[in-house]
Amino acid sequence: MARKLSRRSLALHVATHLVNGKPQKEIARQLAAYLIWTRRTKELTLIVRDIQFYLAEHGHIAGTVTSAHDLSASTLKAIEAFAKEKTGAKKVSLDRAVDESVIGGIKLEIPGYELDTTVARQLTILKTRYKKA
Amino acid sequence: MNFLTTFAETAEAQEDIFTALGIDWRLLILQIVAFLILVWLLGKFVYPLLMKSVDERQKNIEEAAKAAKKAQESAAESEAETAELLAQARKEAADIVATAKLEAGDMVSTSEAKAKSTAEKIVADAHAQIEKDIDKARRELHDQTLELIAFATEKVIRKKLDSKADEALIADVLKEAK
Repeated sequence: MARKLSRRSLALHVATHLVNGKPQKEIARQLAAYLIWTRRTKELTLIVRDIQFYLAEHGHIAGTVTSAHDLSASTLKAIEAFAKEKTGAKKVSLDRAVDESVIGGIKLEIPGYELDTTVARQLTILKTRYKKA
Repeated sequence: MNFLTTFAETAEAQEDIFTALGIDWRLLILQIVAFLILVWLLGKFVYPLLMKSVDERQKNIEEAAKAAKKAQESAAESEAETAELLAQARKEAADIVATAKLEAGDMVSTSEAKAKSTAEKIVADAHAQIEKDIDKARRELHDQTLELIAFATEKVIRKKLDSKADEALIADVLKEAK
């Protein structure tokens, strides 16, 4: 059995390969296989967070944008530009998620920054902030 | 004159007076001696006994008188003490009655004050509870209104906000967030 890598060194290894341009699917498959083999699947969330941290150090940011409708390319571009401006990253890659419950607007989640301008959020604020009981 | 004459005649006939009176002087002397002996005997043997008896009786009587006097005095003292005790008892009874009346009055006053305080507290609590209920109802109404507004807004926005409008909204939001 191979030596057990620490979470941080594993994250650093994956981040380095991603920065070097290795295909994401292949790296993800290898990481998943390794975690299953070493029975460390419970650490996945922490490892992903560490990977994001190391990528951010190299100017690469991965985040998620959630909206009620499919976003057009121009809107996505604008969101990426916004994320770059806010974080100072060189490259931003965003996962798109469609969730009708947000009603409208977007929810942008990138390491160290979050922007929730969804209508659902605004309505929740309306209901909770001014609630008296 | 007749008187003097009578006296002179009597003096002349003095030697025979005892005889004239029928007294025998020898017998008289004997009777005197017997009387003296009798007196002596009585004085020697009877009189002391009698005197002793009389003294004892007198002593007894005096003692009885003293005892009676003492008893009378004791009775008087007892009567005085009884009167004093009665007076004291009456006074104490009067004091007790007065104290009891005072305490009863105090108790009544205290009870009235307590009852009044309790009644006021009940009224105040009722008022407070009513205010609380009203406030709670207002807040619930407010919150339900908010829920309703949010619900209605959501419904309206869901209908009105198509993909195009959503993109415009996102563009505006990004501009504002910058």
